[in-house]
Amino acid sequence: MAKNVADSGQIEEVSSTRRVIAASSVGTLIEWYDFYIFGTLAKIISEQFFPKDNPTAALLATLATFAAGFVVRPFGALFFGRLGDLIGRKYTFLVTLVIMGGSTFAIGLVPGYKTIGFFAPAIVFILRLLQGLALGGEYGGAATYVAEHSPDGQRGFWTSFIQTTATLGLFLALGVILIVRHTLSVPVFEDWGWRIPFIVSALLVGVSIFIRMKMSESPMFAKMKKEGKTSANPLAESFKQKDNLKMVLIALLGATAGQGVVWYTGQFYALSFLQNACNIEFEQSNTIILIALAVATPFFVVFGALSDKIGRKYIMMAGMLIAVLSYKPLYQMMYDSANLKNKTEVVESTTVETKEAVKDTDNVITTVTNKTFTDGTTYKETVKQTIPLDAAKKAELAAAGKLKPETKKSVILPQSLFYKMIGIVFIQVIFVTMVYGPIAAFLVEIFPTRIRYTSMSLPYHIGNGVFGGLVPLISTRLVEATRPAAGLPPADPLAGLMYPILIASVSFVIGMLYISNKTNNMDVE
Amino acid sequence: MSIIMSAIKKLFGIVWSLMGIGIIPLVIMQAMKEIAAKPSEENWIFWSIVIVVLMPIIAFSLITFGVFALKGEYDVIE
Repeated sequence: MAKNVADSGQIEEVSSTRRVIAASSVGTLIEWYDFYIFGTLAKIISEQFFPKDNPTAALLATLATFAAGFVVRPFGALFFGRLGDLIGRKYTFLVTLVIMGGSTFAIGLVPGYKTIGFFAPAIVFILRLLQGLALGGEYGGAATYVAEHSPDGQRGFWTSFIQTTATLGLFLALGVILIVRHTLSVPVFEDWGWRIPFIVSALLVGVSIFIRMKMSESPMFAKMKKEGKTSANPLAESFKQKDNLKMVLIALLGATAGQGVVWYTGQFYALSFLQNACNIEFEQSNTIILIALAVATPFFVVFGALSDKIGRKYIMMAGMLIAVLSYKPLYQMMYDSANLKNKTEVVESTTVETKEAVKDTDNVITTVTNKTFTDGTTYKETVKQTIPLDAAKKAELAAAGKLKPETKKSVILPQSLFYKMIGIVFIQVIFVTMVYGPIAAFLVEIFPTRIRYTSMSLPYHIGNGVFGGLVPLISTRLVEATRPAAGLPPADPLAGLMYPILIASVSFVIGMLYISNKTNNMDVE
Repeated sequence: MSIIMSAIKKLFGIVWSLMGIGIIPLVIMQAMKEIAAKPSEENWIFWSIVIVVLMPIIAFSLITFGVFALKGEYDVIE
């Protein structure tokens, strides 16, 4: 009888923990979705909101906005972390959800540069900053909330569900974008259809707010608050007291910085590399990432649970080390698989079609070349030359070197290479699951409950937001630096990997030397 | 913890501090060189982000961490 009562108590506890995980995870997943659709649609957004004169500048401007979203995340972490340690976890991450949802919905409604001029990029920039602030507050709250509900010995397992949300959020963002793009046509999607994924967010956030409203406060925090033991000044306590500051530094340099670059390289740089260095067609490149993410996502839970058994440190460090050692060969394989120089062209199937049309005050000449290769790869090159009808304007643009044609390259891989690419990206996402699966449990366990939200949020968001979030910007820049001249391909397309390799290497050495492999201890007070 | 491990941690403390200090002139000199060669908007944006955001975080955290390590603060980590 007594055993039955104990069993039913255990079942109730597990069921309650599951409800907490589900409610927290859905909200966090939606916040990631909101954050990612902007980055995923970076190219279209740059065309809509930034002057088109210089496409590289427009793309960089968008990446800078993207980075700004990441850079403000640490400020969100401080602001909302402090709030979470003062008034509670539940209300704080409810506020972050509302801010994130509102900003995302508003981005979908902002008129383009052609309609309202400079106001368009300015408004988008501000909304992006708000997204960054909200995300800065969200993750720490969700991880802390779940960890404080989790039983000892299972914290790695339960918090790993929160860790899956970042990947599932990207998965959802890519999925919604692909469905909308497929349902509408590509020109319609690029004209206004891209707004739909932003507007859809309002619905998702509404559902999530409803779920979160029903949640109760974290038991550890509620107990502390009842006993009057909460921190009066979490910021000062976290960063001015040496004992906490040294843990913040070790968390940042020995864990989250390396984890951040491994994560962004595996999930984002891989996509950027497929599209820009390998010229893989938009839909195929996104599908490669989607499938790799879907297959690898359960490993967040596998490594989270494993960290409960063997400790957090060695799993995270192994992920960093393997990533550092294998990035170059993996990316070389990706590049070689799509490199047309390695393939034999079926010359008789090549077609070249040229069209000329007058559009507004310009003469537009479009040349489309289609090629097929013996391994089944197809290649489409579209060269669009816009020449003003006015001779004086034409001469002026020619003198300024602005009459260069716009070239779009698109490679579609055959099935065998398509699966090979999925395999290579999958391996990279496995590294991500190794470094990211156990990190929430690692972070919550090194800080005390009274300042946990503040203390863990900052290193997490600096590591991921700044070190990781700048991977696309810095890596693109490093590749561009190897380009011998404008219009020519970069001499070293793998140069962008230098940044994540360097950061992950330093993080690995620091982590191995200074982090202990403790598990399952959480300071309640 | 062994004395050797403690010594290694302290020795590396010097390395982290020097890295933190060294990164400041390195980044600033590179930024000046690249902006002088091509003073474009994208160059300014890129280097502003690196100098204002990334560099201070790396420098401050490495120097402080290095000093803590050198003082033996990480000899025993619970």
